[in-house]
Amino acid sequence: MKHCPLPLLLALIAFIGLATGCATQNKSSAARQDKTLQMPAAESSHPQEDRTLQPPAAELSNTQKDQRPQTPAAEPSNASTALTDDEEALLEDNFENWEEESAVPAIADPIEPFNRAMFTFNDKLYVWLLKPLSLGYRKIAPQPVRTGVNNFFHNLTAPVRFVNCIFQGKGQAAVAEFASFTLNTVYGVLGFGNVTKKYPELNPPPEDLGQTLGHYSIGDGFYIVWPFLGSSTLRDTIGRVGDAFLDPVNYVEPTETSIAVRGFNTVNMLSFRIEDIDAAKKAAFDPYQAARDYYIQSRQGKIKK
Amino acid sequence: MNTRQWATVFCTIILIASVSDANTESLSPLESLKGPINRIIDVLNDPAYKAPGDKEAQREKIWEIAHPIFDFLELSKRAIGKPWTRFSSTEQDRFTNVFSEFLGNTYIDKLQGEYNNETIAFEKELVKGNVALVRTTLRRPGAEIPIDYRMKKIKGAWKVYDIIVENGVSLIKNYRVQFSSILQSETPDQLIQRLEQKLNAQAAGTSQVN
Repeated sequence: MKHCPLPLLLALIAFIGLATGCATQNKSSAARQDKTLQMPAAESSHPQEDRTLQPPAAELSNTQKDQRPQTPAAEPSNASTALTDDEEALLEDNFENWEEESAVPAIADPIEPFNRAMFTFNDKLYVWLLKPLSLGYRKIAPQPVRTGVNNFFHNLTAPVRFVNCIFQGKGQAAVAEFASFTLNTVYGVLGFGNVTKKYPELNPPPEDLGQTLGHYSIGDGFYIVWPFLGSSTLRDTIGRVGDAFLDPVNYVEPTETSIAVRGFNTVNMLSFRIEDIDAAKKAAFDPYQAARDYYIQSRQGKIKK
Repeated sequence: MNTRQWATVFCTIILIASVSDANTESLSPLESLKGPINRIIDVLNDPAYKAPGDKEAQREKIWEIAHPIFDFLELSKRAIGKPWTRFSSTEQDRFTNVFSEFLGNTYIDKLQGEYNNETIAFEKELVKGNVALVRTTLRRPGAEIPIDYRMKKIKGAWKVYDIIVENGVSLIKNYRVQFSSILQSETPDQLIQRLEQKLNAQAAGTSQVN
């Protein structure tokens, strides 16, 4: 690419920082992490991590704190059974009639043989390359460092989330994304520290172009498994291509470096989820179908928000 | 007695009935989940089970606490869906047993394998009539996973019949997709045999995913 956007510079600086041993801010993030984690389950009276729900309209929750100033306090808590629309939607089990076939979200899979082949390919890639790499990486990189890397990459894709919030007319979420990006870039030192973590109102559900298209009632099309990238659909593939223009990692030159950066991000992410992936594989009868359904359900959940 | 007295007596009876009712089923959905889950965490942290030889005893202890949280019949019905009516009542029983054991083994294995400093935050409960959703967050170093429990009031007690992970993925729906595809070409009995094989493989430790 001819032009060199600011995020690229940030990325490079950040990597130099990382390579030279990620200094102070990771320590501080480590301290913060530990504090959160030592909190015993019994004392969990702070629902601060809930990114998805509107606050309860009334005394429905056992958790007392309402930290969502942005929500219009709609119903003047008339009854203890009053739920916000979001909560209604969550509680609604469209699976109530268990006899009905239609309860299961269906996805067209006309290219299933291709997809299965790609699924196997990705699985081998995971088993033979990514998993050993992630396990090794986990041994040498302490958790706060890996969390810092995660934060950094998450912060880097803030423009994607911001733009898609705008596309979906989610003004407050867009402001929140912008504010988080600014705060984490400045005070979190290029996003390694996540200074906005404690504030649910600054952590709206992440948006992407696939969700934006879904928001405007564009259907999935059909299921596609891409080599290296994994589960997707026709719509989400288009979304991914669109979002790629806003992803700074794609502007890293030369291409080999860009791929290496992406691989590093993947290994870093996997280092947190190896056991989850293995357990999911063990728990499945047909891992391909399980993964396909997981993807579709998860995307449907995200589009609703 | 005149009407007024009758009304008083009637109201008193209702009142007494509702009070005793409240006494027997006073646990809210969140509470009826929180108690057992915290006890499971205690068992996982219990130094008495730290030796590798104690894993089996620990597993049994966990299963003993976990089992009553769930309604496995409801769970099994939903995991099968429409073809459930094709199951004979013996097959329904067999399936329910083997499926619950399979779920128990799979997830207790995972708990035992990697439980390290995980905490569960019970965020809130949403209740509507006899259904409820209890929202929790599983926290571990560097990751947070939202886990919601769908619960139903069955014979006065709240029981879990589905688990929703990461804000929208129903575990039971996920099994249903797989089971319905198996049941398209196989009989209920064959499905149960598959489950039994998987269980045996688990027991033999050969179900290792590499």
